Formats: sequence, C-alpha cells, structure tokens
Amino acid sequence: MFGRMKDAVADAAETLRRAFAGLNVVEVKPEPFRFQSHGSASLAVEGRAGLNPPVARLHEMCLLSQAVEGRALEPFHAELHAESGWARWGAEAEVVRMTPLEGGSATRMAVPPLPRKAQTLSKLEPPVRPPTRRWADSLGQPGTRHLDPGLGSVKAESGLSAMLSLAVPIRSEDIQRLPKGLWMRYSLQLVRGTGENVRNLEVLGLFRIPRKGVADLRHDPGQGRILLRLERLAVHAARAPFILARRKDDGSLVSCYVEDP
Amino acid sequence: MADPIKLAYFMAVKEGASYLGGLLVTDTSGIPLDFRYTEPITPTRLQSILYGKSLEPHLKEEVIQKTLLKELKTPPDLFILSATELAGGWSGDAKYPVLAVQKSQESPLAKVGEAFRAGPRELLIQLSEGAAPLRVMFAASVDAVAQEQAVVKLLEAGYHMDLAEPLERVTAALQSLVVKES
Repeated sequence: MFGRMKDAVADAAETLRRAFAGLNVVEVKPEPFRFQSHGSASLAVEGRAGLNPPVARLHEMCLLSQAVEGRALEPFHAELHAESGWARWGAEAEVVRMTPLEGGSATRMAVPPLPRKAQTLSKLEPPVRPPTRRWADSLGQPGTRHLDPGLGSVKAESGLSAMLSLAVPIRSEDIQRLPKGLWMRYSLQLVRGTGENVRNLEVLGLFRIPRKGVADLRHDPGQGRILLRLERLAVHAARAPFILARRKDDGSLVSCYVEDP
Repeated sequence: MADPIKLAYFMAVKEGASYLGGLLVTDTSGIPLDFRYTEPITPTRLQSILYGKSLEPHLKEEVIQKTLLKELKTPPDLFILSATELAGGWSGDAKYPVLAVQKSQESPLAKVGEAFRAGPRELLIQLSEGAAPLRVMFAASVDAVAQEQAVVKLLEAGYHMDLAEPLERVTAALQSLVVKES
C-alpha cells in the first residue's frame, strides 16, 4: 500500500520536474537604488480678489435636419474577364513619325581677334578714398626752457681753527748730522735750562717748533717724534730748536728751547 | 734769507652725494699756515646725468681746486695731492709743480738726501737714515727741470717732517667739518 503511494508521488514529482525543466530563468538585474532628492517649492502666498460671481452660459443645440438613408448591402457578383497579351501589346505601342530635316537660313559670324598684348593694370586704387580733414587748430610753438648745468661758484671758508685742533707731528732732527760745536752749545743750554746733570739726561730729540702757541706736547717714542697741539698764535710765531730729554733716575721728561747762534 | 718753503696739500673727498675739498698750506715742519675748505657741493640729478663720468674730475679740478687756490694769499712752492688723484690723470692748474708722495716698500738708498729716478715722472728719495725711501710722482705737466727743483725742496722739507702725513690731516679735518655741518 505504502509502496504504491511512494511510487505515485515519485512519478508525480518526476512529471513536474520535466514539465518545468525547459523554463528559462531570466535574471533581472535590479536597478541601482538612486537617491533622489526633491526640493519642495517654497510656500508662496498669492493674493486674489474676491470670488467672481457665477456666470451663466447659453449653449444652443442644433437639431439633425438631414437624415441619411441607409441601404442594405448588395451581394457580390463574380465576373470573368479575359485579356489577350498580344492585344494589350498592340494597344500600348505607339508609332512615332519623324519629320524630315528642312534647309534653313545660315548667317556668318565674325570671330573676334585675340588681343596681341596683355593688358597691365595700374595700381589699384583704393575702393574708397578716405576724406582728408585738416586740423584747424595748429599746435603752438613749444616753449624752451634754459637750465644752466653749470655747477656754479663754490664758497671757500677758512678752517684753520679746525686744522689746529688736530695734532701736528714734528719729526726730530738727526743730531748726528749736526756740527759738533753746535751740539755742544745746545747741550750746555739744556743743562742750564733744566738744572740737571748732563749725565742724568737722555736726549730724545731736537725739534724745530713754534716759540709761542704750543698748547700741548706729547712724545711718540715709537716713531721718534712729538705731537703738538697748537693755538692760532703758533702759526706766525718764529720757529726755534727745542730739546726734549728724559731724566735717567726717575724717567720724567724735561725740555727747553735753545738759541741758535 | 730765502723765503720759507710752502707746501700745499690738496684733498677732495666725497661724503654721501656731496663733494668738498680742502687745501692745507704748511711750512717745512708741517705746521699749518693756512687751511681753506669748500662748502659741500651736491650736484643735482640733472647735473649728474649731463656731466656723466666727467662730473667728479670736473668738480675736483675745475671747481674745488681753482676756488681754493684763488683764496690763497701767497702761492705754494709745491702742490701735493694723493697718489690716487694723480694716477687718475690730473689735469689741473699747472702754475705749481703738481706731485704725489707715497711711502714705499723699497730698500733704503745708500745715503740720506739721495734720489733715484724710477721713471720719467717717478723718483725715490731717501729722507731719513735706514727708512724706506719716499716715492715721488709728478704730473705730466711737470718737466724734468721742474722735477729736479721740486726734489731739492722735498729733501729740505722731509728733513723736518713726514711729507705724506699732512694729507691724512686734511682728510680728517674735512670729515670733522662734514659731521659738524650735518
């Protein structure tokens, strides 16, 4: 009992499988989801006048005046027509008759000679000549200006005071080149003037400097010279020999003017 | 007694856009006898364009130098300027022997007072014992005879003073004047 049921169900299942085996499966691609945004129109207020009063419209109806009479359909009648091919060919053919040529009147035409020389064209004129206008107001004469490039005269000033503010270096004379008698004379005057023993003095130099107007005096042992700061009085003062010496015991400087013979 | 020798030292400097010059006259000890200087000259832009490269020589030689020499009461014996100015082709006043002096690095000459001619316009002179000789360069306008006469005066002055030093004093004085006026 159950075996027959099972076979029946299996047959039914096989039948269904065969029935649907030939079906084509169509794959439908789903459309991509698109997000669409719709903007909402902004609310607007529209002002309107009051309601219009109802208007009645009149419509006129036309009555049918001409009636069409319907007729019953007539039955088809078949007719047999016969047509001969030759008769049709003869009926459609057309005979064309040509008129013969007739003699006409002929006239002689003269051929114009070719030009012997090519024609040269002159310079093309402009299609439109621009109209010339004259400037009524002439430009005025430019004004000339004179600018003297000369550097002019320069004023000179006396700056002796500024110059005297700078130290004046005086070089020592070469004592070895002096006549021995003259140097003896100078040495004697040095001893008298300073009151020192000649053995205690070391002569630093003999300088020829202004007798007046010496404001300051400094010794420059490196270069064997003295540096003087002078006053205006010194410019025209007489120059006199001047001996600068150093005491050997304490190293202090002594000096004196000496007289020329 | 002969007149004492007067040495004129000329220097023109450019301070900013202005030019000014000074002339120092000294005796043979280097002591100032006179000093004149010009007020600063500032050329305009138009003058600078019109004169071009000749502006500076013209200012120094024609304007500044002549103005200063006119102011001198007695003419100098020697007109001394810097070696740079002379090398630039000095063509100023030829009334005085124009020369430049410069300390050299040459070995000393045999004796003091000796002169050695190094060129047609250049000499070396020995002023002190054992020191390097002094180089003396003359302007083209100074002939040989004038050069010999000038050397005698230089030797005499150089015995008492440093012949190149006063130019430094003129420069210092001009700079102090410019600072004072500004």
